[in-house]
This record gives sequence, structure tokens and C-alpha cells, in this order.
Amino acid sequence: MSDIIFELQDVHYSYPGKFPALCGVDMTIRSGEKIAVIGANGTGKSTLLQLLDGLIFPHHGQVRAFGELLRENSQVDENAAHRFRRRVGLVFQNADIQLFCPSVREDIAFGPLQLGVAEEEVRRRILEVAQVLDIRHLLERVPHQLSIGEKRRVAIASVLAIDPDVYLFDEPTAGLDPLTVRHIIDFIVNANQRGKTIITATHDLHIIGEIADMVYVFGQNKRIIMGEPPDSVLNDRSFLEINNLVHIHRHHHDGREHVHQHLP
Amino acid sequence: MSNALNKKRNFIERSILSALAFLKDATLSEEYANRKGFLQSLDPRLKTVSFLAFLVTAISLKSAVLIGSLYGFCFILAIFSRIPVRHFLIRTLLFIPLFSLFMVLPTLFSIVTPGEPVCSFHVLGLNGIITRPGLDGAVLFVVRIATSVSLVVLLSLTTRHSELLKVLRVLGVPQLFVLTVSMCFRYLYLFATMVENIFTAIKSRVGVVSHHRHGQNVVAWNLANTWNRTTQMSEEVYMAMLSRGYTGEPRLLKVFHATLKDWVWLCCAVIICAGLFYRGQIL
Ligand SMILES: Nc1ncnc2c1ncn2[C@@H]1O[C@H](COP(=O)(O)OP(=O)(O)O)[C@@H](O)[C@H]1O
Ligand SMILES: [Mg+2]
Repeated sequence: MSDIIFELQDVHYSYPGKFPALCGVDMTIRSGEKIAVIGANGTGKSTLLQLLDGLIFPHHGQVRAFGELLRENSQVDENAAHRFRRRVGLVFQNADIQLFCPSVREDIAFGPLQLGVAEEEVRRRILEVAQVLDIRHLLERVPHQLSIGEKRRVAIASVLAIDPDVYLFDEPTAGLDPLTVRHIIDFIVNANQRGKTIITATHDLHIIGEIADMVYVFGQNKRIIMGEPPDSVLNDRSFLEINNLVHIHRHHHDGREHVHQHLP
Repeated sequence: MSNALNKKRNFIERSILSALAFLKDATLSEEYANRKGFLQSLDPRLKTVSFLAFLVTAISLKSAVLIGSLYGFCFILAIFSRIPVRHFLIRTLLFIPLFSLFMVLPTLFSIVTPGEPVCSFHVLGLNGIITRPGLDGAVLFVVRIATSVSLVVLLSLTTRHSELLKVLRVLGVPQLFVLTVSMCFRYLYLFATMVENIFTAIKSRVGVVSHHRHGQNVVAWNLANTWNRTTQMSEEVYMAMLSRGYTGEPRLLKVFHATLKDWVWLCCAVIICAGLFYRGQIL
């Protein structure tokens, strides 16, 4: 099947020192899908996204991307690596880590330049991307001196400039004000409408109705314990409570409008 | 006794904190670089080249008077670049003693620079004689250091730190090195912030630091922790670079456009340096 983008079979991953982070994950993601991965802290969401982005590799089981096995040495071939990087972009959980250049402009330019995009085109993309994310006034600033919301938008811009087919977002709305959250959700929905595949890790339950058609819930056992459309997940209150997502559930209750949106 | 100890510790703590604040300010404050002044308006590449020329001149000239005139020129430039003279002086004065004191002391004495004695003294049974060439040499040295430091401070105050790094790149320093330096700046900043936070955290937890030993342990533990966090962070930053297509040799944007004004400035700088060298030959 050509429209399968990621295929995970019985994936296990442990950090050095034998800290298990994923224990037997199976998953199939198709082109154009909107996926949310939810779970309490430490259930392996970030680890999963890094596996999908080919930054770490399973110790057991396998990850296939675009029909090819992701292996440590498949990244050695520069052309193959670049082909993969042009198609998949990860927005890291910690924007401070993602932004390492001396200025915002250069951070946005970094990806496309590494991937061999011509300088003129890169300049055009910088302006376009800055327009989309409303960060034109920040281009000459030092990234780590920005506010959290600004950093997050710059981090997204730095991936958008690569124009990948697949976006991986790691907790894109954590710690942001409502307006910025709104912008980011709109961005995600918009990208999906343009045909992009979106995979978002979050524990923000009141956004999953908009950013996902399919929700995978990760449990403390570090594997998928439920895979359903957002409405079914949100309706299963006892399940959410058991799995430590209850706090967010209450938040969800407090915002009355959101309750109407998600719960019939 | 314990009161005195406390005072001393407070003093040390305050010194560390102000040193950190200065470090952050010196490396990251772009207040003056963003002002609309003369030096700020120049192309960073040609500006850096001209300052390198001034620096070489200051280091090679053998006349304190000529170097002093270059020092005066620095002040004029600072004024036209809207940098308060007081601020500029403080910045330079902070560095000068460090540089000069250690290097100048030995040359004062006759053991190193023999010549006509200006004055002599006895300390602890040792004979010390300050000589005329030794004194002249010391004055020359101090003026030279003051001028060099002023030039460097002036350049760094009027140029954004990101632009200075780009200049390094344009001048042929390998990109990998430049990227590393820029990350070092960042870690330095993060590190300074963390240490500041740790001090605040200790204060809030321990209150008045009553147990000397305990306070020390907290500091040691936190520093180790900070170090761990920093190394882990650099691994993650590497991942972030990989994720965006980095394969070993970073490619970065080309920048800068020099205008006629910049070239005129460079010519002026060269003429000034040549003039000073010429005068130096005659004197
Ligand atoms: N660098 C690391 N070293 C060791 N253990 C780690 C590291 N990163 C994450 N872990 C562990 O892996 C598990 C999953 O972490 P993570 O994927 O970050 O979870 P999440 O993103 O869902 O909060 C956790 O138990 C965490 O302690
Ligand atoms: Mg995470």
C-alpha cells in the first residue's frame, strides 16, 4: 500500500540505564490522517515521535516509513537521509532545544539550507513562513530571549520552512495562552486540509476533537491501550480517570463551550 | 566570628551574582547595538576589518602618544555611536586591570628591564629598583592595553552578537566552529541563569544560610545537576539539528551588503593607520 506512511510493529525502546520508554507499540498511519497521541507524563509520547522522526531506533520490533525500514545505518547515506528529512518534520517539545541559531531568521533558514534548497528560495520561504506565523517582527531577534509563545511559533516556522508531508508535534500547546493555542490549532487543521499528515502528542484533551480523527492513548505500561476517534475517547470518563487524564478532563468540564463541542 | 563569616559569604554571593549579571549583560545585551549611531550603521564585515587594522596598529606602535591619540579617536567614535562615555569607560576599565596588572609588574623591575633607576626601595630585605625604561615601558603597555580593550569593547557594543558571529564566518572561520561558539554563548547564558536560579532556590529553601556545610552541599549538588542537564541538552540539540537535515557540515545564510559609505570608512581607517605608522617611524 503506497498511502501507508508509518507502520510500527511491536516496537520496544529503552533509554540507556534500562529505563523502558516504549513496550510493544503497533500502529499504522496513513497519508493525510490527523492523529493524536495522548497519555500522562512519561508514557513515551516524545519517545514515539523521535522514533517516527528517525532520531532513535527500536531495540526490538520495527518502524517502517514510506515502505522502508528505518535503521541506524539507513541515515548514513546522505541522499536517503535528506529525502526522509524533506518529508518528515518534528516540532520538539522544548523549543529551547529546537532553536539553536544566533537569530530567528537563521533558525528558519537552517532546515531548508541543509536540505539543499537554493538561497533565493530560502529567503522567499523565510518571509512567507514568517507571514503565516506572524513572526516577521522577530526575524532579527535572538531565539532564546523570546517568550514561550513566540518561541513555539518560531519552532513551528523552522519546520514549516522545510515544507514536509508529515508534521510531528510534541505538546505544541503546552504552557501557551488561549490565543496562541488557537493559532496553533488553526495552523494544524489548515495544514491537514492541504493534505499534510499530522501526528500530535498532547495531554490537552480539549484540543483533540479538532486536531485528530484518531486518538491513541498511551498507558503507564508504555503501550497503546486505546485507539478510537476523539468522541469515543472523551466519552469514556472512567477510562480517562484511571489513566491519569482526569485532571485535564475537569478542565474540559470547566470550559462550558468545549463540553458542548465534544460531548453529546 | 560567625557574623563576619556570614558577611563574607554574602559578599562572595553578591560578587558572583553581579559577575553573572555582567556576563549576561556583556554577552547578550543588544541595547547599544540597536541604537541608530555611526558604527551601528556600518557593514559589520568592513567594520570588523577596520577595527582589526586599528588593533594591529595599537599593538605595533611604540609611542604612547600616538596610541593615546587612537584611544581618543575611540571616544569620538563612541560618542557618535550614542554610547554613553561613562558606560563605555566602565566596561573598558573593568577589563584593563586584569590584563595589564599581571603583565606589567615584572617589567617594572630592574631584573627584567635594566636601566637608570628612578627610585629604589627595600621590602623584606629585597632590593627593588624602578627604572626609567621600565616605567616608560609600563606606561606604553597600559595605554596599549587600554586602547586595545576599548577597540574590542566598542566593536562588540555596536554590533549584534549574531552579526559578529556571521563576520567570523565571512572572514573564513569554519562554519562548524562558528556554530559551536554561538552555542557556547547560549550555554553560558543558560548556565548563568541556572546558577542564579539555584542561588534563589537555596535562599528560599534554607532561608538564612545557617549551616555552612549544608549550603555548600546544595550548591555542589545543584552544579552537578546543572552540568548533567547541560550535557543532556547538547545531545538533544544535536537531535534537533539532525531532524532538520544536518549531516555534518552546517550550511548557513550569506548576509551583508556593503555600501559606498562602508568602503569610504574602510579607506579612512586604512589612512589613519598608515598615518600613525608613518609618524611612528619618524618619532
Ligand atoms: N533521556 C532520557 N534518559 C533516560 N530516560 C528517559 C529519557 N527521556 C525519557 N526517559 C524516560 O522514558 C519514559 C518516556 O518518556 P517520554 O517519551 O519523554 O514521555 P512523555 O513524552 O510521554 O512524557 C519516561 O519514563 C522517562 O523517564
Ligand atoms: Mg514528552
